[in-house]
Amino acid sequence: MLFRQFWMEWKLYTRDRGAMFWTFAFPVLMLLGFGVIFRDSQGPQIRLVRIQPTQAGAFEDGFLKALEEQHLKVEALPPDRAEQEWKEGKVAVLLEGTEPDWRLRVNAYLAPQGMPGMGLVQQAYLVAQARALGQGEPRRIPFTVESPGRVKAPSYAAFLLPGLVGLNLLSMGLFAVGMVNVAYREKGKFRRLAVTPLPKWVFLLAQVLNRFLIAGLATTVLLVAGRYIFGIQNQGSVLAFALVVGLGAAVFMAMGFALSGFAETTEVYGAISNIAFFPLMLLSGVYFTLDAAPKWLQQAVQFFPLAPFLRALRGIFNDGASLLAYGPQMAILAAWGLLAFALALRRFRWT
Amino acid sequence: MSDSALRVRGLRKQYPKVLAVGGVDLEVPRGEVFGLLGPNGAGKTTTLEMIEGITEKDAGEIEILGLTWERSAREIRASIGVQLQATSLYNKITPREALTLYGSYYPRSRPAEELLDLVQLTEKADAFHITLSGGQQQRLALAMALVNDPELVFLDEPTTGLDPQARRSLWEVVRGMKREGRTIILTTHYMDEAEALCDRLAIMDHGRVLTTGTPAALIQELAVPSVVELTFDGAAPDPGGFAGLIGTGVEARGELWEIPTRDPKSALGGILEAAERGAVPFTQVHIRRATLEDVFLHRTGRSLRD
Ligand SMILES: Nc1ncnc2c1ncn2[C@@H]1O[C@H](COP(=O)(O)OP(=O)(O)O)[C@@H](O)[C@H]1O
Ligand SMILES: [Mg+2]
Repeated sequence: MLFRQFWMEWKLYTRDRGAMFWTFAFPVLMLLGFGVIFRDSQGPQIRLVRIQPTQAGAFEDGFLKALEEQHLKVEALPPDRAEQEWKEGKVAVLLEGTEPDWRLRVNAYLAPQGMPGMGLVQQAYLVAQARALGQGEPRRIPFTVESPGRVKAPSYAAFLLPGLVGLNLLSMGLFAVGMVNVAYREKGKFRRLAVTPLPKWVFLLAQVLNRFLIAGLATTVLLVAGRYIFGIQNQGSVLAFALVVGLGAAVFMAMGFALSGFAETTEVYGAISNIAFFPLMLLSGVYFTLDAAPKWLQQAVQFFPLAPFLRALRGIFNDGASLLAYGPQMAILAAWGLLAFALALRRFRWT
Repeated sequence: MSDSALRVRGLRKQYPKVLAVGGVDLEVPRGEVFGLLGPNGAGKTTTLEMIEGITEKDAGEIEILGLTWERSAREIRASIGVQLQATSLYNKITPREALTLYGSYYPRSRPAEELLDLVQLTEKADAFHITLSGGQQQRLALAMALVNDPELVFLDEPTTGLDPQARRSLWEVVRGMKREGRTIILTTHYMDEAEALCDRLAIMDHGRVLTTGTPAALIQELAVPSVVELTFDGAAPDPGGFAGLIGTGVEARGELWEIPTRDPKSALGGILEAAERGAVPFTQVHIRRATLEDVFLHRTGRSLRD
């Protein structure tokens, strides 16, 4: 009986093109779109302004290539524009002249960027010289740019993917569970069930199991897309990732059940659920970090369900952290789950 | 085993603003088609849904096939079939799937094929519910009410909103259920439907049963079981003093004057004579038997339709 109900739920879900699109295709499209748009912004780069040479020689090309290899963002400007930007204090390092009469100007006010920029230019010059003289490739010490103590993904796509997983679970709970049950109640499907001997828990359990399956599949689709399109993958344990996703799915579904008890009609539910959905989506750091937001907001949002979920998931996915490192986040999430579950038990109605 | 399919005593339901059902008694023997006839808001649905166990009752006793909800809820659910007034099915389920799914909820169920055949939906067996016409959806709802081979079937306004042809084909399905020996309790606000289908009926208004009996007996009980109708070309004029001329009531309805009478044969002469004298511009005369509509009008002073 449970299996038949589960199978029917699955068939009906897959026939709903709209739901299929929002659950499976939309997150992948978001990942693709934003992942490609922000593909270049890989960590901080030092901007080097170079005065446009009148004629480019063979050495200039090699030098330019070496500069770019140094992780410098080289920007060639005509002399007057360069001079103007320099005067306005926007430029940290300015490269003037042509081979062999180079000159570097470092902005004293922007020394923290200018000095390493200057160092990198000097290095690139040595490399280019060695190459031009056919002396073989000089060795360099490899380096990485990091932000210790903070969760920072190596690429935007990697940052975004756990965000989309969370967003998908949230909308599944609020819409595919909450909205669906309000509609079932409003349209009398629950009443029709109530006159049959089917135990209600069988119906609800089948629905919940079905949504868990769909959540799992949708997350897998995103993971596969991330792996094969952007080459990003889970740095932590699969089990930890699955546990966090499973807990998240349970908490957000419980929220959907709880909220569905506060609305008589789908219109009212739409309003209620959007009040929950949009602030959570916009303020929890799904698409961007909240570094620029006021401190109090950054702290406050950590007590709502989505932000701690994303923090834990990103920690595991991007930094390979252990689940144990996110005890407080899991506790906050679980507390929301319990609260929602208790509310759902109190408020859920069949008619 | 109880010989009544349904026995209801003192059923009551008070909503915050209205007394939806104010003390209803019903007794329906097995094998009967029993109708609840009444205008919208009379309390028919509320009565039925309390009996079906989906609306909480405020007071009263309900005995279904000798069983009570308090002690035998599962047994009752397994042996009744229900068509609700407002049910929507999933949009993208097919009749065959719906019948199989709902059949799986019961310990005993009839094959989907057989039910589809019964309500003539075999051709649409694999079409999505949303693509069915109103009449086809309603026939499916009836088939779903029969999925567990129930002894007692509840149908709430089974033909409301359907065109005349679809209504007739549904009536045939209901008659088929009766032939199979089921007890059927249905609600309607169409008097022709009540007359065509019901062995007995209860006329309801404002949450109360006004009278119960066979359609023929209810009409016979009327003091004035016949009606003389004068038809006009266009809207009927105000009868004015005409009633005084013939000594009975005259009511203008649409293009008609209706003159209820006990003995149409002897009344007709006087009516025609009075019309002649008053130069009443009528075009046709009809004599008809009173209908349930007239019974309702007589009992409440209102028409069933408004
Ligand atoms: N859930 C409800 N809450 C409040 N009033 C209701 C509810 N259901 C029905 N009513 C009221 O009870 C009365 C009887 O309604 P109903 O049983 O649906 O009548 P019928 O089926 O004969 O048209 C109506 O006045 C209706 O407005
Ligand atoms: Mg009704």
